Amino acid sequence: MYLARVEGTAIATKKHPSLNGWRLLICQPLDAEGKAFGAPQVAIDPHGAGLHQMVIISSDGAATRQAVRDPKSPARWMVTAIVDKAGRATAAPKKSAS
Amino acid sequence: MKLGRVIGRVTLSKTIPAFTGGRWLIVSPFTRGHYQQGRQPPSGLSKDPSPVVFDNLGGGMGDTIGYVEGREASMPFDQPTPVDAINAAIMDEVFYSPLP
Repeated sequence: MYLARVEGTAIATKKHPSLNGWRLLICQPLDAEGKAFGAPQVAIDPHGAGLHQMVIISSDGAATRQAVRDPKSPARWMVTAIVDKAGRATAAPKKSAS
Repeated sequence: MKLGRVIGRVTLSKTIPAFTGGRWLIVSPFTRGHYQQGRQPPSGLSKDPSPVVFDNLGGGMGDTIGYVEGREASMPFDQPTPVDAINAAIMDEVFYSPLP
């Protein structure tokens, strides 16, 4: 699963039938610093993520095939979550006053 | 699924039975700096290597297609097939606006 930013949408009428009706979002995977890495991936989106929103995309084809209800679908990437806030723990955890 | 522009085709003479009737497209993959915006794919070739993608949707030269890589590429076949990139969609239009 990658942290990613939605950077566009793609429209395709001729496609594998299991993709019919699904939004195709262009998602740019981000590294820990939030910088783009790798090529953008087009993921199917059941959650309605908006442009430039942070999401989590998963490459687990089995989960995606269940989502599209077609065991022979080639779909792989799927938006599994929309991120509210993402940040790396930089400071050491504060010792609780016990 | 990654996007790319079809830049060529491959015709195989001797193949395993599972490949009969298959079409093979050579695709120049889009990257962050070399991506389609609107209806026309970017001109020129991408700096990434061009995969050969199995196709049964009828992708033609110059089309922009969405191809899936990995094990999922062999799912649509009836029997186990050694394909690791398949054309899953032919793009009509792409709206792409990356943040800097």
